Amino acid sequence: MRVVVAEDAFLVRAGVVAVLEDAGFDVVGEAGDLDELLAQVQTHRPDVVVTDIRMPPTGTDEGLRAAEALRGTTRIVVLSEHVNQDYAQRLLAGGATGVGYLLKQRVMEPDTFIRAIREVARGGTALDPEVVAEMVERRGPIDALTPPERDVLMRMAEGQSNRAIAAGLGLSPHTLERHLTAVFDKLGLPPSAEGHRRVLAVLTYLRER
Amino acid sequence: MVIAALALLAGLGDCLLVLSSDHSTGREWAVFGPVVGWSFIGTGMYVRRRAEARFGSLMVALGFAWFLAPLSEADAPLLFTLGIPLGSLWGAVLAHVLLSFPSGRLPSRRERALVIAGYVLVPLAPVPAMLVSDADALAGCGERCPENLLLVEADEQLSDVLLTAGAAIVMTLCLLVVALLAARWRAAGALERRSLAPLLGAGAATLLLVVGYAATRVDALRTLAFVAFAATPFAFLAGLARADLTQARGVRRLVARLADLPEPGDLRDALARALGDPGLRLAFWVPEQERYVDDEGRAVELPPTGRAATEIERDGRHVAAIVHDSSLAGETVRAAGAATALLLDNRRLDAELRARMLELRASRERLVEAGDAERRRLERNLHDGAQARLVALGLSLSLGRRTLPAESEALPLVDTWIDELKLSLDELRELARGIHPAVLTERGLEPALRSLASRSPVPVALVGTAGGRLPAAVETAAYFVVSEALTNVAKYAGAEQATVRIERTDGHLTVEVSDDGVGGAAASVGSGLHGLADRVAALDGALEVESPPGGGTRLRADLPCT
Repeated sequence: MRVVVAEDAFLVRAGVVAVLEDAGFDVVGEAGDLDELLAQVQTHRPDVVVTDIRMPPTGTDEGLRAAEALRGTTRIVVLSEHVNQDYAQRLLAGGATGVGYLLKQRVMEPDTFIRAIREVARGGTALDPEVVAEMVERRGPIDALTPPERDVLMRMAEGQSNRAIAAGLGLSPHTLERHLTAVFDKLGLPPSAEGHRRVLAVLTYLRER
Repeated sequence: MVIAALALLAGLGDCLLVLSSDHSTGREWAVFGPVVGWSFIGTGMYVRRRAEARFGSLMVALGFAWFLAPLSEADAPLLFTLGIPLGSLWGAVLAHVLLSFPSGRLPSRRERALVIAGYVLVPLAPVPAMLVSDADALAGCGERCPENLLLVEADEQLSDVLLTAGAAIVMTLCLLVVALLAARWRAAGALERRSLAPLLGAGAATLLLVVGYAATRVDALRTLAFVAFAATPFAFLAGLARADLTQARGVRRLVARLADLPEPGDLRDALARALGDPGLRLAFWVPEQERYVDDEGRAVELPPTGRAATEIERDGRHVAAIVHDSSLAGETVRAAGAATALLLDNRRLDAELRARMLELRASRERLVEAGDAERRRLERNLHDGAQARLVALGLSLSLGRRTLPAESEALPLVDTWIDELKLSLDELRELARGIHPAVLTERGLEPALRSLASRSPVPVALVGTAGGRLPAAVETAAYFVVSEALTNVAKYAGAEQATVRIERTDGHLTVEVSDDGVGGAAASVGSGLHGLADRVAALDGALEVESPPGGGTRLRADLPCT
C-alpha cells in the first residue's frame, strides 16, 4: 500500500515512516509542509496520506486543510496533539469517508495506528478512542445504552469491523448482532450494511444532538 | 491724500463732462456719478487702513473705474470713442471685488480665470461693433453725437448683430459671476454668511439688474441697478460692522456669564454662543504627551480641515486651543479665550487626567496582550520542541521493542518506558493547553469553549454565539473566564448541570457561566478570579459573581469589543 507522510518535525516523521515500513507499507513520499504535501500527492497518487495537523506555513490546521483539499480523491489520516471535536467534525463534514483522526501519540502503539490507517485506506473512518470516548460520554441518549452496548458503539466508531469487535469483546456473532440492533434502536437509526456508514450515522446523530 | 485728491479731481471732471455734454442722456449723472465713485473710494481707503489692505485697494480701483463710465458723454470724439469700451470696465472690477471678498485674494483658479476674462472681454466686447456702427447706434445720442473714430463703414444690420453679440458676452460673464457667488454662499458657515450677506446681495443684485437691463432695455432696471451699485460700499460696511458687533457683544456677554459654568460642556457652549460658531470645539494641551486632547482625554489633531485653531495661553503656558470657523477673527477668539483662560485651565486638568487614564488603560491592555503573545509562543515551542522529541523517542522505543525476542526480559521494561512516555505526553499536553489552548488561536472562541465544555466532568450546555472571530485579547479573556468558572463548578458547586452562554450585542461580548449547584461561592472562588478580573478590567470590561447560598452560581464577564 502506497503512503505519503507529512510531518514537520523530522524525528517524528522518520519514526512514523519507520513504523509504516515496518508494517509493510510503501512510503512513496515525505513532506514537511502543506504545499509539499499536496505536490507529493499530485505526483505519487498514494492510497492513503498520514499527516500532522500543525505544519508550516501557519502552524495551525494545515492537516485539515489538506483533508478538505483532497476530499473525495485521496484518503487521509490526520494526527493531532489534542482531542478536538471541532476538528473531528470538520474532517467528517458532509459525511466524508476515508478519513481518520488520531492522537499524535497513538503512533507509539503500532497496532492501533496501523489498524486505523488500513481502515481509512479501505474507505472507512477511524477516530481516536479518546475522541470517541469524549463524544460518547457527554451525550444524553447514550445514557440509555447498557455498558456492553456502549462498548460496541465506541469500537464501531473507531472503525473496527464486526469481527474485530466480537473478538475484542469476547462476544459471539449472534450476541454482537443483538447489541448492534439495540444500539440502533435506542438511537433511532435503521441498521445499514456498511461499517463506515454506520459510524458516520452515529457520529452525525451524536453531534447534532 | 494723493488718492483723495485724485478722486476729487476725477469726480469733478465727471461732473463737468456731463454738464457740458451736448448729447447727454441724463443730467442727474453729474451728481450721482461722482458721489457713488467717492463713496467707493472712501470706503476702500477706510478698509485699507483698518482691515484688509488688498480688498480696500480693490474698492478704490472700483471707484476710479466708475469715474470712467461717463466718458462717452464727452463731446470730444477721442474721449467719446474711448468711453464706449472703457465705460463698462467698472463691471469687471466689481466682479473682481465681489469674488475676492473679504481678503482681496481670489480663492481659486476658477475665480481668477473669470476675473481675467472680465478684464479682457468687457472692454473688447463693443469694439467689433464700433467698426461698423455710427455713434448714435452706440450711445443713443441722436444728431449731436460726436464722431466714432473707429467707424470704417456703417452697416446697420451687421452693427445690430455685433452689438447683440457683445451684450451677450457681457451678460454671460455677469451670470457666471453670480453663479460663483451663489456657490460661495452655499459653502459658507452661518457666521460667514452674516458678514457676506449685505455685500454679496448688493453686488449680485447689481449684476443681475445690469443683465436684465441689457436684455430688455427697460430704463427702470437701469435705475435700480444704479441704486444697488450705489448701495454696495455701504452694504460692505454694514457686513463688517455686523460681524464685529455680534462678536464683541458675544465676548461681553460671555465674560458676564463666566461665574456660573459648572460643567465642561457649558464652557464650550458658552464660547460657541458668544462667538456665534455652533461648531466650536475645545482642545486641551497635555504637556507630558505633547498633544491636544478633547474633554474625554482622546487625542485630537489640530486644526481639522476647513477650520482654524487659536491657541490660548495662560502665564506663558499652553492651556488649550479653540477650534473655530476660519472666518472668525483670531483676535476675537483670543479675547474670548483670555477671558476664560482660568476656566479653560481647570478643564484642561480634567482632560489631562482622563488622557492619563486612557494611556494607563492602553498600557495595561498592551501588557496583557504581550503576556498572551508570550503564552502563545511558549505553547508553540512546547509543541515544536519537547512534544515532538518525546513522540519521536516513543516511536524509536516501540520500533526497538519489535526487534526484541518475545522471551526477552527487557520487554516489560520497554513497555513501562513507553507508558511513562505517554503519561508525560498527556501531562505536557494539559500543560500546553493551560498555557494557551491551540484551538483558541487556530479556531476561535466557540470551538475552544466547546472543547472546554466537552472536557468538563459536569454536563455543560453551550448557548448562543460569538458571531465569528474577535480580537485575540477578548477571545483569550472570555476563554479563561469560562475555563476558571467550569473548574470551580467541578470543584465546589456540586452541580448537576452548567450552562455557558455567549452573547454579542452592539460592541460587547458577554460570557456567562451558571450552574444549579450549592451557591454561596463568593469566598471560595475569590483567588482564582483575581487574575481574571484584572484581565477583564484591562480590556475595560466587567466581571461579576452572583452566588446566593443554595441558589447556584453565576459568573458573568462583559467585554467591549469593536
